[in-house]
Amino acid sequence: MIRVLKRLGLMVLVIWLAASINFLLPRLTDRDPIEERLAQALGDSGGSAVGIEEMVEQYQAKFGTDRPLWRQYLSMLADTARFDLGVSINYFPDRVSQHVLTALPWSIVLLGVATLISFVIGTFLGALTIWRRSSAWLARIVPLFMVLAAIPFYLVGLILVYVFALVLGWFPPARGYSVGLNLGWNPTAIADVAYHAVLPALSIVLAAIGIWALSMRGMMVTVQGEDYMNFARAKGLSDRRRFWRYAVRNAMTPQITTLVLSFGNIVAGAILVERVFVYPGIGTLLYNSVLLVDYFLIFGCVFVLILTVAISLMLLDLLYPLLDPRIRAGGEAHG
Amino acid sequence: MARALPATPLEWGSSRRRWRSVFLYLGRNRSLGAGLLLLLALFTLVAAGHAFYDISLAEPLSASPGKPPSARYWLGTDKQGRDLFAVLIVGTWLTAKVGLLAGFIGVVIGTILGFVAGFFRGWIDAVISLLTDVFLAVPPLLILIVIAANIQGSMSTDAMVWIIAALSWREPARRIRSQVLVMREAGYVNTARLNGTGSFGIIFKEMMPNLLPYLMVSFVLATATAVLASVGLEALGLGPQNEPTLGMTVYWAIHYSAFLLGMWWWVLTPVITLVVLFVGLYLVTAGLDELANPRLRTGGAR
Amino acid sequence: MSGLEVKGLKVVFETDDGIVEAVRGIDFHVQPGERLGFVGESGSGKTTTALALMGMIDAPGRVAGGTALLGGVDLLRLSPAAHAARRLVDVAYIPQGAMNSLNPVMRVGAQIADGMIDHGTGLGRSARKARVAELLRQVGLEPSVAERFPHELSGGMKQRVAIAISIALKPQLLIADEPTSALDVITQRRVMHTLREVQDAIGAGLILIGHDMGLMAQFVDRIMVLRHGRLVEEGEVRQIFRAPRDAYTKELIESVPALERRQAGTVAAPKDATTAPIIQLDGAAKTYRRGLFDRAGVPALQPLSFSMAGGTPLVVSIVGQSGSGKSTLGSLLLGFLAPSEGRVLFEGRDLQTLSSAERRESHRRVQAVFQDPYAAYNPFYKVDHNLAEPLRNFGLARDRASVLAKMREACELVGLDPDQTIHRFAHQLSGGQRQRLMVGRAMMLGPRLLVADEPVSMVDASLRSSILGNLRRMKDEQGISIIYITHDLATAYEVSDYVLVLYRGRVVEAGDAETVIKDPLHPYTRLLVGSIPWPDPDRHWGGDERAEAELAERDRQGGREPCLVRSTIPGFSLAA
Repeated sequence: MIRVLKRLGLMVLVIWLAASINFLLPRLTDRDPIEERLAQALGDSGGSAVGIEEMVEQYQAKFGTDRPLWRQYLSMLADTARFDLGVSINYFPDRVSQHVLTALPWSIVLLGVATLISFVIGTFLGALTIWRRSSAWLARIVPLFMVLAAIPFYLVGLILVYVFALVLGWFPPARGYSVGLNLGWNPTAIADVAYHAVLPALSIVLAAIGIWALSMRGMMVTVQGEDYMNFARAKGLSDRRRFWRYAVRNAMTPQITTLVLSFGNIVAGAILVERVFVYPGIGTLLYNSVLLVDYFLIFGCVFVLILTVAISLMLLDLLYPLLDPRIRAGGEAHG
Repeated sequence: MARALPATPLEWGSSRRRWRSVFLYLGRNRSLGAGLLLLLALFTLVAAGHAFYDISLAEPLSASPGKPPSARYWLGTDKQGRDLFAVLIVGTWLTAKVGLLAGFIGVVIGTILGFVAGFFRGWIDAVISLLTDVFLAVPPLLILIVIAANIQGSMSTDAMVWIIAALSWREPARRIRSQVLVMREAGYVNTARLNGTGSFGIIFKEMMPNLLPYLMVSFVLATATAVLASVGLEALGLGPQNEPTLGMTVYWAIHYSAFLLGMWWWVLTPVITLVVLFVGLYLVTAGLDELANPRLRTGGAR
Repeated sequence: MSGLEVKGLKVVFETDDGIVEAVRGIDFHVQPGERLGFVGESGSGKTTTALALMGMIDAPGRVAGGTALLGGVDLLRLSPAAHAARRLVDVAYIPQGAMNSLNPVMRVGAQIADGMIDHGTGLGRSARKARVAELLRQVGLEPSVAERFPHELSGGMKQRVAIAISIALKPQLLIADEPTSALDVITQRRVMHTLREVQDAIGAGLILIGHDMGLMAQFVDRIMVLRHGRLVEEGEVRQIFRAPRDAYTKELIESVPALERRQAGTVAAPKDATTAPIIQLDGAAKTYRRGLFDRAGVPALQPLSFSMAGGTPLVVSIVGQSGSGKSTLGSLLLGFLAPSEGRVLFEGRDLQTLSSAERRESHRRVQAVFQDPYAAYNPFYKVDHNLAEPLRNFGLARDRASVLAKMREACELVGLDPDQTIHRFAHQLSGGQRQRLMVGRAMMLGPRLLVADEPVSMVDASLRSSILGNLRRMKDEQGISIIYITHDLATAYEVSDYVLVLYRGRVVEAGDAETVIKDPLHPYTRLLVGSIPWPDPDRHWGGDERAEAELAERDRQGGREPCLVRSTIPGFSLAA
């Protein structure tokens, strides 16, 4: 419980930090996002600059930027605490939350499935590599995955697009579903969405398997050296039992810790995968808001991503005591 | 366990013997050897390119745009008229520069923080650990995006170095702190106190030499992380707009849908260069880790 | 059942430098119900022999020859799978590291039962459960222990669980590999008694592997002394102790402190009775706090006051089991820890108020020898670093030549060859050499006080006496006062002039070694002395039930009674 509360506290601190940076930086650099944005919009539409001052004032009244700085800061914090992310500059008068919530499910499903698949495969492969009976092909293929793990997901994605979409033409190179598809819970739509998700998911899976395999391998090396493994062998227990109930079971606890530690990086790393595949998730939204200099939307995306990471980590924290009886009893954090 | 500390892997002898043992060691530590080889190859290419190739062709509009690889433009040109081989030479250097500088700054700051926290403990450790935990709890890229988005127009590679360094101290701080915590309880530190060695001597004569392997690993790791972060930001379009870094090249290639235009060389040049760089850095880290942490040396212990 | 019959067992290890013979052809037999002891130091081949019988020799090692007949089957000819199927069924192993030998994430009952499942006993779930309960009762544990996780058990309980596992399938042979090395002597005695009971109950033969001759004397019927993979001597236990034939066996026996032997001489009359105390504890206590919110904390050491005069060199022992607060006391004396209340005064000055320069300077006069002689050396430097640094820092040697001369002298003082020692790294020396060098270092510096914290607990038995002898010599020849901290009453008896028995952070009994150890009064001391396996097969190694009951009663009352001061000694005063 203390772990979870600590994690919660940390996340509040992190979001406060991000919100503050987002609030202070433009003001420190003496730039006015709204004015800039309007000038850009005017430039794009070819309109004259006459009357821009007036428009800016109107907008500022709406966004509250004409109040004293500290009041703006406090009301921004209050809004953030209420999950009120404000209004998008670009899609004015759409609310930020509206766009973020449309994009979020796409990202969650893609990432959730890809992470789960890679975690299971990677952990299993990593465990097998240092078990006595692992075969020769495994000894070759696992290091390959480990090297792949060094490459960011989106670069793997670019290579996959080239090979499987452009050269071979097996999968669509971009988008989350076919143009003109009627999204809904019907088999056609689900199949179409799944078909489009193969390459983006694969680019995460391919690169992430190695991450899990590597850390699991490390845990297994440690576990193998433990006295209880030796005693299990002296008991003449079956290979299968020693592998699953003794070695893997014990290595899983720190492996979950690794998952907790690196989960945030996986989420962040997936942003660019969505961009590469023009996938309709948070990553693409974030990219577009960067392109359009929409500060409120950028912060909204980052806020939601941090929140997602935080919630996933807290779920894992709650799961953790089930894995390790030592934590269940003592309530002490073992790191 | 004190026994897990590295026994000096290289016996110090005459310089020839020393080099021979270095090579022998690299032969055994294959990931370190392979990693160094990859990085060496890449940087030989970059150095040779700087010497013999016309790198001014990395500027936009300096070559005829959209040409496939040929004898004239070895790796082709992009839509904005940059010679991609020149981009590779200049960009790799820029990317490496950002990574090395940000990594170095991060390790220096992180080592100081980690050392202070681990050595003095008490409230100062509580403060530094909280700070490290807060920053470790966020995916660094997200914070970097917020920062970079806010200073987008005026971004330069130098600014990039500082922004990334602002987050690359976290891992070294954590690593060094935990190492120092173990080390300050080590028997030899207690013995050093009995030897009449002061705090200064304990830090620099007793602890630092044993921290060196960890510092090396931390530096390479921080460099790799910094490269990862800078290329990520650039690929999102948040890098320096006017410099041909590898990440910006990826950004432009995606932006102009280079694949759909059939310009595969535009994408594959930066991607493959980055792959070589990342794999090289990864192998070196793994190799150094093995050197610093002999426990991992057991390849397939039963 | 005809027991185990081993002939010509050979085990070799293939290394880069060629083949190393770990076991060079040994013969022995174990009858059903018999207890055989394997004695030898690390590298003698005793554990390798056991592993060969278990079929657990891994590459690069292999069994190179011999036969091991058990119930008509040659164990050495079995395939790995067939051998694995015999473990627990015919041959069971009781591991050394009881603390870590159980799977931390599995309930104890499941760990007893899984062997039954994998060896196909055909028992149903409820029958297995009943059998687990029966086994737990047999080793003196509550059946409810089955539902607990290993971290909820004490070391002794875990070792009992390991014994329960090993007898679950009633094997013909039990191999116990230093089963109590991680336990304190009181628990050791209880666990070994249980082991003896269950072995008698199932009628199996038993091999006890160890290096503690005392334990062997009390537990086994027959002893085999191994050295460098060869059998040095074999015989019935009384015969071995009474008339050892081999010089090495004799050495092993003599290395165990016994009540008959004592190095401590008479206490020298104070050179100068008026000298100020060298070290004084003035109500010093230490409480560890866990985190910010732990107001009460865990008391490690209750307020303690004593003073040691500088003019009368003495060896004062502080005896206690782990958790008694003895190491905390050691750290307080060295100024490594600050007391949470009270003061520690060195030469009349509070250690905590010294400036860092003064404290550094004070270490010239207070030195220490620690338990782990490997950790004491910085792996980055050669061992001379630990000798040269203090010489330079304390200004004891001005130039290179005199530093070198002093270092050589230090080596020679403890019988080490300087040329084979100074220019080496710690990992190139043996454990005994490292510790001897640490003692030599302390002698070289000539402090007024030496704190020796378990200096021989990690050193091979045969070297213990010589290191303890060096400590005595420091006192006798150099006039250095010594505080000897140990868990081992026997070595304390051997070297000390005065003994303090520490129990739960409190000194419960104090007096000269002769009185306290030969005629203990406090129930804890009685229990402790009664639990020591003395190297005498005829001495009764029974428990003292009355002492146990009395101790439990005192614990219930909070254990606040004053310390029993049996005798006093000039130069040392304890405020009880």
